[in-house]
Amino acid sequence: MTAGPGGVNETLQEVSAVEQSTGSAGALGDPDQGKSGKSQEGRSPFQIAMARLRKDRIAIICAVVVGVFILMGILAPVLANLEGQSPTETHYDLVGNDTLPTFYTNSQHWLGVTSSNGYDVFARFVYGIRPSFLIAISAAVLSTVIGVIMGMIAGFFGGWVDQVVGWLVDFVLSLPVLLMAIAMVPVLSQLLVGNAPSQSQTQMIRILVLMIVLVGFGWAGPCRLVRGEVLSMRQREFVQAARSLGAPTSRVLFKEILPNLTSIILVSITTALPAYIGIEAGLSYLGVGLTLPTADWGLDISLAQVQMQNFALPLLVPLIGLLVVVLCLSLLGDAISDAFNPNTRR
Amino acid sequence: MTDNTTDAATPADEVNLGKHRAAEEAETIVHETSRERETLLKVTDLVKHFPVKEYSGLFPKTLQTHAVDGVSFDLAKGETLGLVGESGCGKTTTGRLVTRLLDPTSGSIEFEGRDIAQLKEKELRPMRRDMQLIFQDPYGSLNPRFTVLKIIGAPLEIHGLVPKNKIKARVQELLELVGLNPEHVNRYPNEFSGGQRQRIGIARALAVEPKLIVADEPVSALDVSIQAQVMNLMGKLRKELGISFVFIAHDLGIVRHFCDRIAVMYLGKIVEMGDREDIYEKPQHPYTQALLSAAPDLNVVRGAEPGERIRLVGDLPSPINPPSGCRFRTRCWKAQEICAAEEPLLTPAEGKPEHTIACHFPEVKSDLVVEVDAS
Repeated sequence: MTAGPGGVNETLQEVSAVEQSTGSAGALGDPDQGKSGKSQEGRSPFQIAMARLRKDRIAIICAVVVGVFILMGILAPVLANLEGQSPTETHYDLVGNDTLPTFYTNSQHWLGVTSSNGYDVFARFVYGIRPSFLIAISAAVLSTVIGVIMGMIAGFFGGWVDQVVGWLVDFVLSLPVLLMAIAMVPVLSQLLVGNAPSQSQTQMIRILVLMIVLVGFGWAGPCRLVRGEVLSMRQREFVQAARSLGAPTSRVLFKEILPNLTSIILVSITTALPAYIGIEAGLSYLGVGLTLPTADWGLDISLAQVQMQNFALPLLVPLIGLLVVVLCLSLLGDAISDAFNPNTRR
Repeated sequence: MTDNTTDAATPADEVNLGKHRAAEEAETIVHETSRERETLLKVTDLVKHFPVKEYSGLFPKTLQTHAVDGVSFDLAKGETLGLVGESGCGKTTTGRLVTRLLDPTSGSIEFEGRDIAQLKEKELRPMRRDMQLIFQDPYGSLNPRFTVLKIIGAPLEIHGLVPKNKIKARVQELLELVGLNPEHVNRYPNEFSGGQRQRIGIARALAVEPKLIVADEPVSALDVSIQAQVMNLMGKLRKELGISFVFIAHDLGIVRHFCDRIAVMYLGKIVEMGDREDIYEKPQHPYTQALLSAAPDLNVVRGAEPGERIRLVGDLPSPINPPSGCRFRTRCWKAQEICAAEEPLLTPAEGKPEHTIACHFPEVKSDLVVEVDAS
C-alpha cells in the first residue's frame, strides 16, 4: 500500500468517524481524553480495511454468493442424494441413437441428462465446482507464495539477483500459455507413465499439467508487483530505522516488510482465483484439463454443446454457474483491493 | 516536568525556549573553559560517491556523484553539531554514513576510538546500539502495520535489553519520557498526529540508550508550533541523558537554538565550521554569509531597517561534475582565478583555532542576524 497524503487523511477521517460512531472517547490527537475512553486498543490498517470492506454492499453480496457456491460444493453428496443420482453414473438407456437424450427433464433427472453418456446434469453441476475450486485455490496460493518470495528477494537484494529474476519473469510471460498446456499433456504423460496410462494416471497427469500451467505462469504477476513494492519500501524510513537498530536481514524482510505486503498478497490471490477457475474450465473444455467421468464444469460445457440446439439447459447450467462464480470472485477481488487502497476507489 | 502533549503552542513553550537558551549558553561556556573534551566521534576525510549510469551513445558510462567529498569533523560527548546547507549538499548522506546505513567510499569514522567505516554489517550490529537516527518524515519512519508497543519494543527485543515480560513496562516508561500517554501502547501509527509520531520515533531511538543521535531534519516536516515542542523535548533529553547529537537541518533559527557547533556544507564539502557564535555573528565564508542573509529577519517586521541581502545567482552545480578548485566559485561574487585553480582548504581563522573556513578570501561580516533573540 503506497498511500499518498490523501490516503492517509482519508484513513484518519475514517478512523475518527468509526470512533465517533462507536461512542469511544479516544479521539484522534487527544491523548488525555483517551484515558477515560473505554478502549485503548488501536486499529491496524488491516482492521480498518476490513471495516471498509464490510460497508461495501457489492462485496457482501458477492461474498454471500461465493459462499453459497462453496457450500454447494461441500454439500454436493447430500444434494445429489436428494435427487438420488451420482455424477459419474452413465445412463445409456436415456440416450437415443442420435446421442441426444430422449427427454428434457423428469422427476429423476431434475435438469435432464447429458448427450452421449447420459450423465445427470444436476449431480454434475453440484459436484462440478469441486475440482475447479480446489485446483484454482491451491494454484492461486502456490503461485502467490512463489511470486511473493521471488519478488521480495529481487526487490530487496537488487543488483544481479533482481536482473536474473526479471529475466525469468519476462521469459515466463513471453511463453504462449495455451500452446504450452496442450503440448505438455502428451510430453508429461510419456515421461511419467509411458505409453498406456490408466484412467487414474491420466487424471493425475492432467491435474499436474493444470497446476504447472497455472502456477508456472501465475507467479510472474505477483512477483512483479511485490518486487516494485519492496523496491520502494526498502528506501522507506521505517526500513532504514530497523536497519539502524541492528535488525538482521531476515527480520527486516519478514517482520518489517512482509506485513506491509498483506494487501498485495490478498489482492493477488483474490484476482487470481476467478482467472484460474476460468482457465481450468477452459482447458478442460478443450480436452487438456480433466477427463471424464470427473464432474467438472468445463467438461460439462463441452459435453452439452452438441445438444445446444435441441435442449440448452445442460449447457446453460454449468455456463451460468461459471459466469456467476467468476464474476462474483472478480468483484470481490476488486472490492478487497479498493478497501486496502482507498486512493484507487472509484 | 509537565510536558504538553497536545498539539498547540502555548506561551509556556516560549518561556521554556528562553530559559533553555540560557541554560545552554551556560553549558557552552563550560565547554569553552575546559577544551579538554572527550571525543566521541571523529570523522576524517569521509567520501561517498554514488555511481550513476549515463546513456550517451551505445554504451552506458558509469559516472560518480560526489555526494560527500572529504568531510571531517569531530564531536565531543554531550556536544551537538549542526550540519546545515541547502538541499543536495550531502548533509543527509553524511548522517547516513556516520550511522553506517550507507557504506562510505573512503575515509574513517572513529566512534569511541574505533574505526567503524569499513566494518561489516555483522560486526556493526552490536555497535548500532550506541548510535541512533531520528528521521525527517514522521509518516514514513514508523511501520504502519505495527503497534507502538512493537515499534518501540523492537530495539529492546533485537538487542535483548529487557526480558520479554518487561518490554511493555519499558515501552510505557519511554512513552512517558517523550510525553505521550503510556496507555497508547496498542495503537497504530495512523492514529497519531505528526508531532506525536515524531515523539514515537524519538522514543524508539532512546530505547537502546544511545550515546549519539543523528537527527536528520527531525522537525522540518512538522508544524511550527509542534516544532517547538519537539525541539524542547530533544533539548530536555540531551540535558538529562547526556546524548551527543549530530543535528541536520536547514532551518537556521532552530540550529542556532540547539547546536553548540555548526558545520556549513556546500556540494559535499564543509565550507565553514565553528562555534555557534562564530558562525552566526562572525561568518567568514561567502556561502555562510549568503545563507544567513537569506533567512527571514523578524526585526524587519518590528520596524528595523532590512539588512543587506546577498542574492546567489545560478543553481547548485551538478555533484557529478563539480567545479574545479573552490566549489562555490560558480556562484561567488568574490571569485578570482585562484578559486578555479586551487582548492581552498579549511584553515583556522585568525586567533580562533576552532573556527575554520575554506575560502581564499575570508572576510568577517557581522551584520547578518538570523532569528530575533528572545531576551
